[in-house]
Amino acid sequence: MQFHAFDSVYLEQLRAGDYRTQEHFVSYFSELIRLKLGKRLHSRPEIEDARQETFTRVLSALRRDDGVRQPERLGAFVNSVCNNVLLEHYRSASQEAPGAEEEAAANIPDPALSAVDIIANREIQRKVRHILDELPEKDRRLIKEVFLDERDKDEVCRDLGVDREYLRVLLHRAKKSFKSLYLKKMKERALQE
Amino acid sequence: MEHSEAIQLMAAEKYLLDELPADVRDEFEEHLFGCHECAMDMRTASVFLEQGKAVLTEPEVATVVYKDQSRPGFFAWLRPAFAIPAMAALLLVIGYQNLVTLPQLTRSLNKPQLLPATTVNLLTYGTNATPLVVHRGEGFLLNVIAPPDHRYPAYEADLRSPAGGVESVAISAQADDTWPIQFPGANRQNGTYRIVVHGIAAGGQNVEVGGASFQLQVQQ
Repeated sequence: MQFHAFDSVYLEQLRAGDYRTQEHFVSYFSELIRLKLGKRLHSRPEIEDARQETFTRVLSALRRDDGVRQPERLGAFVNSVCNNVLLEHYRSASQEAPGAEEEAAANIPDPALSAVDIIANREIQRKVRHILDELPEKDRRLIKEVFLDERDKDEVCRDLGVDREYLRVLLHRAKKSFKSLYLKKMKERALQE
Repeated sequence: MEHSEAIQLMAAEKYLLDELPADVRDEFEEHLFGCHECAMDMRTASVFLEQGKAVLTEPEVATVVYKDQSRPGFFAWLRPAFAIPAMAALLLVIGYQNLVTLPQLTRSLNKPQLLPATTVNLLTYGTNATPLVVHRGEGFLLNVIAPPDHRYPAYEADLRSPAGGVESVAISAQADDTWPIQFPGANRQNGTYRIVVHGIAAGGQNVEVGGASFQLQVQQ
């Protein structure tokens, strides 16, 4: 996802409902929101509902005159809206029924499709496979059991004779190996658009 | 949380591994939503892990190991390129033996023939004055004059060649005074041969009863 400066122009386009800007906005923050919600909510429907609610409220606020005043704080605003959604979820309060003008925005398109475009990119898949294949068996097993099998991390580390720091460094190095290709692919995609 | 602090803390990795305390996690998230670099880092890690899960759930494809063809193994001779000519050669040899060699041998065995012969007396000393002449590969006959008293139930005759080789033949007691012993002609050489006869007693004892020498001449 190519970075667009969150400036007044960007905000204006977002308020105006510019499709490409909105698509970028949703795509940029969806993954971050999912990660955040995933650490607090346990079911996919709950996470998806909260994600939708967050975007709905942010876009609603943007369209108000007294909405987001500092464009460069857009990210922080999205985060705080998400926190509010979570608080309400925790209190089990009913959600404010969306207004007529908000209904159109309530159905936030799932940016997973654009993520799938990237994910489906064969080169990225190959790169990930290559990185994993290059890992020693122990490291590959560590990643599998922690992230795929979702076993207790302390147990996995104990079984494989490593500590949590080892796991962190492994993740850091794998991410670093993957990052350059991933960013390159995203730039190419942005240029194509 | 400042950006440098997030890097130093390895906050991104700890965030993904759920290792951040709640308050630090909240601070990092506030930074994350506002920092493009960290946001991209997090997306990268997220994509990597999602793809990694997909890769790790793929069934492992068995890899076929191709043997190094430059170094033929023990069974390399079984390959058609080698085996077929070898089998053809074997068939030729078998065919020749069955169609030529064996019939010749059979004919020679079934045909009456005159063998070179000489008579040896076990009780005399010295070598027969007249050499026994044989053609190369031709057998010969030794007429061994038997010991006069026929004391033993069985005898054994040993033909000793000039090279030191020994050919043995068992002889059951016979009333005849002369024992005609045929020896094959293979690998014969010129020189003095000696035949030694042993009597085999009932208890198995082996007693030399006599011997005689003769000259053999092999002609091409």
